[in-house]
Amino acid sequence: MDKNMKILVVDDFSTMRRIIKNLLRDLGFTNIQEADDGNTALPMLQQGDFDFVVTDWNMPGMQGIDLLKEIRKDDDLAHLPVLMVTAEAKREQIIQAAQAGVNGYIVKPFTAVTLKEKLDKIFERIS
Amino acid sequence: MVKPSASISLKQAKQLVDWLEAGEQSKADQWLDDFHQEHDDKLFTSVGQLTRDLHEALQDFQLDPRIMQLTQDDLPDAQNRLQYVIEKTEDAANRTMDAVEACLPMTDEMHQRVEQVMPAWQRLMSNDIQLNEFKEMCHQVDALMRECGQNMPQIHGLMTEVLMAQDYQDITGQIIRRVIQLVEDVEKNLIELLKLFGEEQKSQAKQNVKAVDKNAAEGPIINPEQRDDVVENQDDVDDLLSSLGF
Repeated sequence: MDKNMKILVVDDFSTMRRIIKNLLRDLGFTNIQEADDGNTALPMLQQGDFDFVVTDWNMPGMQGIDLLKEIRKDDDLAHLPVLMVTAEAKREQIIQAAQAGVNGYIVKPFTAVTLKEKLDKIFERIS
Repeated sequence: MVKPSASISLKQAKQLVDWLEAGEQSKADQWLDDFHQEHDDKLFTSVGQLTRDLHEALQDFQLDPRIMQLTQDDLPDAQNRLQYVIEKTEDAANRTMDAVEACLPMTDEMHQRVEQVMPAWQRLMSNDIQLNEFKEMCHQVDALMRECGQNMPQIHGLMTEVLMAQDYQDITGQIIRRVIQLVEDVEKNLIELLKLFGEEQKSQAKQNVKAVDKNAAEGPIINPEQRDDVVENQDDVDDLLSSLGF
């Protein structure tokens, strides 16, 4: 796994972005940028050679599930691995995210160990 | 004479025709006047009763001074209070993370220095160390101890900061408890209002309930054990996804 990969963390709460950033930094990732919803994230992704997206579901503006769908629709971004970290816990939602092409799904509250596990799994499958 | 009623009967109409045919115009007119008079009286009585009921209902409702206070002061106040809770918790989270982020590099650096000293130290412990290496190690240990001496009180101070940042729980807990009380008051008053305006609203209200999108974002689930449409933890998510072949 390339520790220099460029990661976008999308969450409307700055504290949650900060927590995820700290956990990622602990795992050795330092090239991290932030966005506060899908509308902010999408143009950043379209312009900026990101390698990985971590996104919340429930956000004002564009929600995480819609961001995921936009990513999968865009030929340049379709390959991007997307990890969802969210409090949304309905079975139907998880199925919907899976069908939309999510690469991993973490329910909040979560632990550093869970984040590491899902990251390892995603990049193991990709490489 | 036939007693007039709200709507004219066949019998009454025939009577009118009889009078008119008999040339008794005034009798027929009189009967018609009475008929209308009676009808109007009934209408007025009904409208009057309705007006009185409504007036009394509104009067009763206004008599509860809590209602005005609820809408004018308490609800806007509750919004401010909840906003304050968001600010307080965000502030506490940031204070905590500031302190933790200041601690982590210090502990990482001390760990690194210990790792540096460790090989020479292990040789010392097994009586396998050269004098020049020993001297070098002494300098390393000296630097390590100085650093620990400086960093430990700093880390202690930062940990105390983390501790103090948790005071939000007490303050926000009190605020939220008050808002819960307010919601209860509003609920009680709304029920009273519904009682006043009768049962017919119920059926209408039911029809107005929109079908809820089952995939709409709902936010944190506070009672997963009481619902069968949600997962309870990460293991449930993983099981669900693997059952789908992911």
